[in-house]
Amino acid sequence: MKLIVYAIRRLLLMVLVLFGLSILIFYLTRGLLPPNFALAPYVTPRMDDAARLSIARSLDVATSSCPSYTAFVDQQAGCIVPLWGQYFKWLTNVLSGNWGYTLLPGIAGTDSTLHVFFSRFPYTVELALTGAFLAIAIGIPLGIVSATHNNRLPDHVARIFSLGGYSVPQFWFGAILQIVFVLYIRVNGVGLLPASGALSTTCTICFADPGTIGTFTGFPIIDALASGNIPYFWDALVALILPALTLAITSIGALSRIVRSSMMEALRQDYIILAQSKGLKDRLVVYKHALRNALLPAVTVAGLLTAYLLGGVVVIEIVFSWPGVGNTALVAAEVLDINFLELYVLVTAVIIVAINLGVDILYAKLDPRVTY
Amino acid sequence: MTAREEAGPILKISDLRVTFHTYAGDVKALNGVDLTVRKGEVLGLVGESGCGKSVTSLAVAGLLPPNAELESGTITLAGADILKMSREEIRQKRLTDIAMVFQDPMTYLNPVLTVGSQLLEIITQEPKLFLPALVRHRLEEIGPEGKEAPALAAERERLLSISRGGRPGRKEVERLARQYVVSTLRQVRLPDPEKVLDMYPFELSGGMRQRVMIAMALVRRPKLLLADEMTTALDVTVQAQILQLLRELRKEIDASIVLITHDLAVVAEVCDRVAVMYAGNIVELAGVEELYSDPLHPYTKGLLASIPRVDSARTRQVSIGGSVPNLLFPPSGCRFHPRCPKAFGKCPQVKPPLVEVKPGHLVACLLYEE
Amino acid sequence: MAEEARNRNSRTGRWADVRYMLHLFRQNPIVLAGAVISAASVIIALMSGLLVSSTYWNHITPGASLCWNNQLIDWHIANVFNCGGPVYPLGTDLYGRGLLQMIIVAIPVDLQIAFEVVASAMIIGTVLGGVAAYMGGVVDEIILRATDIFLAVPGILLAIVLLVVLGRTIPVLTTAVLITWWPFYVRLARSQVLSEKEKLYVERLKATGASGPRILFRHIIPNTIYPILIQGTLDIGAVILTVSALMFIGLTPDPKYPELGNLAKQGIQYIFTAPWMILFPGLTLLIISVGFNLLGDGIRDVFDPRLRR
Repeated sequence: MKLIVYAIRRLLLMVLVLFGLSILIFYLTRGLLPPNFALAPYVTPRMDDAARLSIARSLDVATSSCPSYTAFVDQQAGCIVPLWGQYFKWLTNVLSGNWGYTLLPGIAGTDSTLHVFFSRFPYTVELALTGAFLAIAIGIPLGIVSATHNNRLPDHVARIFSLGGYSVPQFWFGAILQIVFVLYIRVNGVGLLPASGALSTTCTICFADPGTIGTFTGFPIIDALASGNIPYFWDALVALILPALTLAITSIGALSRIVRSSMMEALRQDYIILAQSKGLKDRLVVYKHALRNALLPAVTVAGLLTAYLLGGVVVIEIVFSWPGVGNTALVAAEVLDINFLELYVLVTAVIIVAINLGVDILYAKLDPRVTY
Repeated sequence: MTAREEAGPILKISDLRVTFHTYAGDVKALNGVDLTVRKGEVLGLVGESGCGKSVTSLAVAGLLPPNAELESGTITLAGADILKMSREEIRQKRLTDIAMVFQDPMTYLNPVLTVGSQLLEIITQEPKLFLPALVRHRLEEIGPEGKEAPALAAERERLLSISRGGRPGRKEVERLARQYVVSTLRQVRLPDPEKVLDMYPFELSGGMRQRVMIAMALVRRPKLLLADEMTTALDVTVQAQILQLLRELRKEIDASIVLITHDLAVVAEVCDRVAVMYAGNIVELAGVEELYSDPLHPYTKGLLASIPRVDSARTRQVSIGGSVPNLLFPPSGCRFHPRCPKAFGKCPQVKPPLVEVKPGHLVACLLYEE
Repeated sequence: MAEEARNRNSRTGRWADVRYMLHLFRQNPIVLAGAVISAASVIIALMSGLLVSSTYWNHITPGASLCWNNQLIDWHIANVFNCGGPVYPLGTDLYGRGLLQMIIVAIPVDLQIAFEVVASAMIIGTVLGGVAAYMGGVVDEIILRATDIFLAVPGILLAIVLLVVLGRTIPVLTTAVLITWWPFYVRLARSQVLSEKEKLYVERLKATGASGPRILFRHIIPNTIYPILIQGTLDIGAVILTVSALMFIGLTPDPKYPELGNLAKQGIQYIFTAPWMILFPGLTLLIISVGFNLLGDGIRDVFDPRLRR
């Protein structure tokens, strides 16, 4: 019961943080840019000044007493609603799903920001999730091996690998992977793995004609499975390998370091000696007694790693031409599509804060000494 | 000689030398330890901090750290040479024959696992090994035939069929193990054992935690119990309770106990024989009363003299001059000679062997060499 | 004993500690390797003006664009443009500038931004974290919630927003990265001060009537500075990677700007035809990052009392 109270408290805190963030982002964008930028997602090029002014008023950016659109653009005194007033209207709009039209070149004004974002978001999520999976599946065992073979060869090798992991520039690592697996390892004239994109038909192990899939969840890999289209599923999976590995490499390095040091710390503890003295097998001692304690510090980093992964997709998507929102964010930056960027920031923040909350609860369950 | 003394020793340590390789140098921790533990006895092992008592017990259990080097000597447990065993064989011995109880139950119990988890894992790791004991125990609990409720009668039938070679399911084994563990907790006088199983170490008091550690040892029905400063971390009243428990337990269990401590009072309460250790050597070994009434080694005499006594006319604290030697550069010959009031010519040159000077009373001192 | 002396007057006895630390450094090969690499990169940075003219990056030589005429390395790629003229040890970039020279000009740029960011983050973080821990209560809550807010967003996203809104200049870039980093130092400093302020000497100082700020800044913070400095050293590598990543995705003041990430950015389009453009700047980043990480690791190992032999 107390756990639920704790969770609710943290949830409320989470909402508070999100509000704070929205204010921060709002001020950063609307406060530092001329007010007509706020209009852009809601007007079409063919609108005349009167129409624009009325939209500006409906957004609570221009006051009702503002005489003309030109006066508004010139920011004449008495024409612009103070920022906090703009904020409340903005908040009402976004919470009801009104994010305006996208400004992205080619589709400006024809598609809503929300749709543009969420049609590409599944690709980013797939990438981030796979990256997270790789980070955990490789990073944690690497740290364990390091700690249990302390100062012997596996430890040295693992440490070099993990040092390389978190020292390497991700874009460079991605490029190296591409050069090796697409340029240099070639079979029948095509690279072993795809160089870019979320689905490629021109790699050695790709199917040349994967067909189409239905749309169930918007996540290509899941939809492919749901449609029973195995070639598509495989091609999509293969295309994920290099980008996800590039995304994960820094986290692998960081995670294995943390696990290594906390495992070594745990293995030094007195309860390990008692466990051994009870005649327990080494595997039991390491995985039950030491690891349970050693994973606690690693769990606390999970929230940070999520933030890192969700930010890192931007670079990865550029290197691998991945059709997710990270790629789009840069285009949005070029055309000053503030709404898109705000949406991206807030959605990412919700995910990160939610994961932090989950991690806190998980930690409280794992460590019985924690009081809440 | 009693029947007990006739049986061979359960533990025999001969000329054990252990050196620790540290970055500061080589610490010559054990300098030829000779010790025997008889079946069923409680042997006290006393000495100051750093004299090598813990190292000795860890060596017996095969738990020395990686930087320890066993230079020479033998350790024989019930006839088997421990030092020649593989890691796996020693581990088996720890599971069935040798049990250790340590000093501070707070740090020696895993804080994130329940007491039950840490007790049951001993059994569930290799259930076949413990199954006969579990079955036998439960049968004893149920009681003799004819006196019990019908449900228990069915259970007895089931247990008998298992003992004749039947294969119990995993749930059955867990249930039996749990019953066994609960009764062991009762054996160490823990109130409400069922509840304790689901508690975490930090929820228990110091005395209760120590009883849990003792229970962990008893569960295995060891031949040899090594209690390393078992009561040192407890306050005096709890200490008395634990010692009382030990006294009661030794009638119930069939193990030999080595009680390692620096507290002479503790030794006087529970032990049959006492070994005094100094700087990596056993310097005196005798029955408890014999040692206290007629200490032979100068170190023992100094130790006993320094115990503050209410009924003594002395008003000043007597202590042994000098300080414990640095085992990186231990004294030559008899390691006690720099502090010994009776040291003479040969002492710095010859390490005195442990010899029987009176029946049942051994000393390692050149004063008694003939 | 040293602890006692430190507590009596919290600032004497530290020089003896420092000398002992330096002695340990010399015995530890990891620190040495890291120190050598880091020092080398700083030296190159400082000497860069002497090695390569500082306006080199503004010269464009279209005829030498994307060429490789260093006979020592064969890329096994068809159609590698072999320009005539002087040998470019690392080839040329899109604008016909020698890559080696560009890297030499770029190193000080990256290092300078990184040092500025880390130094500012340490200062701001220490002050805010220390104040939060020492004063507790509402101030603590506010500062903590502020760090929560900033930690809820990936740094790159915040940086993108800032650079979009405020323009793509180096100061804005520095500020953007700084804003990503300061929450970590606030939290670190806060937890350090929290445990330090429970110590006895603080009680004594309060009893003698010392004022809050004086206790905090003259006594507590100097005693807790080591982990923060260590973290700073470790972070230099990470900051350089972040800065170069931001430039790589296009948030540069000038496409020709001499910065390692920016150089790599050109390379991504030509990755299969002129791989050196992305390889060598990235390799430089890797080496610098490894150097500072090793240095930071080594310092931390030396300072960790439990690992001391």
